[in-house]
Amino acid sequence: MTRSLTLERLLIAAALAACTGSNQSATHSDSAGTAKATGAATSVAGTRIAAPRTTPAGEWQMPAGDYANSRFSDLSQITPANAANLRASWTFSTGVLRGHEGQPLVVNNTMYVVTPYPNVSYAIDLTQAGQPLKWKLRPENAQAAAGQACCDVVNRGAAYADGKIFYNLLDGHTVAVDATTGKQLWRTKMADLVRGETMTMAPIVVKGKVLVGSSGGEMGVRGWIAAIDANTGKEVWRGYNTGSDRDVKVGPRFKAFYAQDNGKDIGLTSWPGDTWKQGGGAVWGWLSYDPELNLVYYGTSNPGPWNEGVRKGDNKWSCAIMARDADTGELRWAFQVTPHDMWDYDTVNENILVDLPLGGTTRKALVHFDRNGFGYTIDRVTGEVLVAQPFVQMNWSTGVDLKTGRPNVVPEKMTAEGKNVKDICPSLEGGKNQQPAAFSPRTGLFYVPTNNLCMDFEVRPVSYIPGTPYIGANAPEKKGPGGHGGEFIAWDATTGKKVWGIEEPFPVWGGALATAGGVVFYGTLDGWFKAVDASSGKELWKFKVGSGVVGNPISYVGPDGKQYVAVYSGIGGDMGLLIAGDVAANLPYDVRERGSTLPDLGRWTSWGGMLFVFSL
Amino acid sequence: MRATLIVLVTTFFVASATAPRAVRQAPAPNAGAADSIRFVAHPDNIPPGFPSNDRPLALRNPYEGNAGALKTGAQLYVAYNCIDCHGADGSGAMGPSLADNRWHFGGTPGEVFESIYQGRPDGMPTWGGRITNEQIWMLVTYVRSLSAGKDVATENFTGATVERTGH
Repeated sequence: MTRSLTLERLLIAAALAACTGSNQSATHSDSAGTAKATGAATSVAGTRIAAPRTTPAGEWQMPAGDYANSRFSDLSQITPANAANLRASWTFSTGVLRGHEGQPLVVNNTMYVVTPYPNVSYAIDLTQAGQPLKWKLRPENAQAAAGQACCDVVNRGAAYADGKIFYNLLDGHTVAVDATTGKQLWRTKMADLVRGETMTMAPIVVKGKVLVGSSGGEMGVRGWIAAIDANTGKEVWRGYNTGSDRDVKVGPRFKAFYAQDNGKDIGLTSWPGDTWKQGGGAVWGWLSYDPELNLVYYGTSNPGPWNEGVRKGDNKWSCAIMARDADTGELRWAFQVTPHDMWDYDTVNENILVDLPLGGTTRKALVHFDRNGFGYTIDRVTGEVLVAQPFVQMNWSTGVDLKTGRPNVVPEKMTAEGKNVKDICPSLEGGKNQQPAAFSPRTGLFYVPTNNLCMDFEVRPVSYIPGTPYIGANAPEKKGPGGHGGEFIAWDATTGKKVWGIEEPFPVWGGALATAGGVVFYGTLDGWFKAVDASSGKELWKFKVGSGVVGNPISYVGPDGKQYVAVYSGIGGDMGLLIAGDVAANLPYDVRERGSTLPDLGRWTSWGGMLFVFSL
Repeated sequence: MRATLIVLVTTFFVASATAPRAVRQAPAPNAGAADSIRFVAHPDNIPPGFPSNDRPLALRNPYEGNAGALKTGAQLYVAYNCIDCHGADGSGAMGPSLADNRWHFGGTPGEVFESIYQGRPDGMPTWGGRITNEQIWMLVTYVRSLSAGKDVATENFTGATVERTGH
């Protein structure tokens, strides 16, 4: 397909959108426990995507669709008026039965799929009936990696640039693959499996460099982000998240907004002794990039171990938002969201780059929904917190002090060795976890899949043994107040207020997709894939897919000019593996007693590994 | 945290002092087998209990039924971070459940010993040489106790205990 044809498709799509109105009536709950929408239709004017996509609207070339991480599609054939006519168009089995986080890519009428471990990749020809494969790659991938990954053997997707597909292998390699032939072009060892490092995150490609980061916050790793030359596979720079200024790449250009985030070698001095060497701060979430500021944004994981007594101090730069120069890796600013975390509140969730009206001016902002339960609107030039409000039920903090950026912690909810603190909300899964939110410039709203879970947290002694978990806590979880496991919400980042919400029986562990047609898509753990009205949250359509959804929908234009929406089905990740009971078994013939957190989940779903594609 | 480990190791020596003298030479090889390191077939290929001269399964656990060893094994299960992979009650987390009576590499004392001693391909570390054989046997004693009498082969979701979700 040529570029001009793609553009022609776009114009048709835009024309179709102009002809359709949007249905904005709100829905009401029909029974306890059923997904329900609350709140009135609204939109927030004047907020726009900071780095809108420059790739064709009919394609999906990077994990979140664009550098801004908006997960917004410009396609508009599917509208609130016709979404009820959606149907499954075709499906594809990935051949792997584990958590299918992440999303496929679509480039040049080819869909690219990466599976959970063993990280098989497929190129699917969209131009032919039956969607035959163009190629299939089964990379060498050490089996031991499967037992080093804390939270299932997931992979959050690939990135495309200049005729190549880039993705990470669980055993710590990054590979480049010829998008046309499937030939592996290079394979670079980035992480050390022996020390508990794995790789699960989705890279982004910035100016010829592939940016990747490590997983292993529960294994006593030392987290880092690195840039690899896209052509040669050679490492260009690596920035650690703990340690000396030299290792963290803090230089004269570094300036944090808050006093406690400035100081010489604070990546060392905020830890006792050498504990920074096993201090976590991994980079397993999503990366964003602002081309104008040339800054890469990402969040770091929890500090290790969970037993906070081992690591008194702020523990920088765990649980922090980091802004680095994309060319050199220099840290330009950092903001520690949860200093001295004692609840496993990672900060790896995505940072969505938008320009929004605030206080009479337009602010260059990033919007971040943290595990700790606060939705942050932050100045992405300086790191100043502009808005910080709870987006889920919480009781560990009474609010964020905007003078210091620090959360005010409720003393009774502080964890410590010898204590078993009851009923902390949100749980260690966070108010939101890896499931990425979406933003629509049409409504100005953020669409956020959230969890409603609480936990008890019992700290116990822990030893560092390389290659084994470094945790030191038992933290059983349960559903939060209200009895629903999660909620899909629309959020106004200028005020820090929820606009509407759809309560779900289980945590919403799949990501969101917003579209120009005014329809928002997401999937649920119990296997429903849903289309809702972007303005009102009214449910427009749903389809029961084969297994729970922990992946993220994308939208693209097929060779026939139609808009398609694709999503993985395949329960897993932290939800499926750790607490869901029987669906968490390692092999299909294993049996487990039901997890106490979501005892009923096994009734609604089981293992799977399927791609589902929908259209009108 | 090192202090904690020392306490546990001390506990181990106290426990082992009360154990039968013969077990100090553990693992106790059976019928002339030279050592404990042998090929272990994949369970998909050889059914449990399949009689084969190539697969002597009868390494004897010197602590079988020893309450002191069971208690120490439970402490070692925490001290060596087994708990974080296999779960506080052995019901599985990063690693497989040890409480479901499904053994990927065999559930006899000797087979469990070998799995701990050698490690297993999906990420189970090799503990042989890192901890003593006596400690491995105590872990075997504890780990095998987790599944005693347990088997939840059928899950019936239609009973009164099933929570309604409205779907």
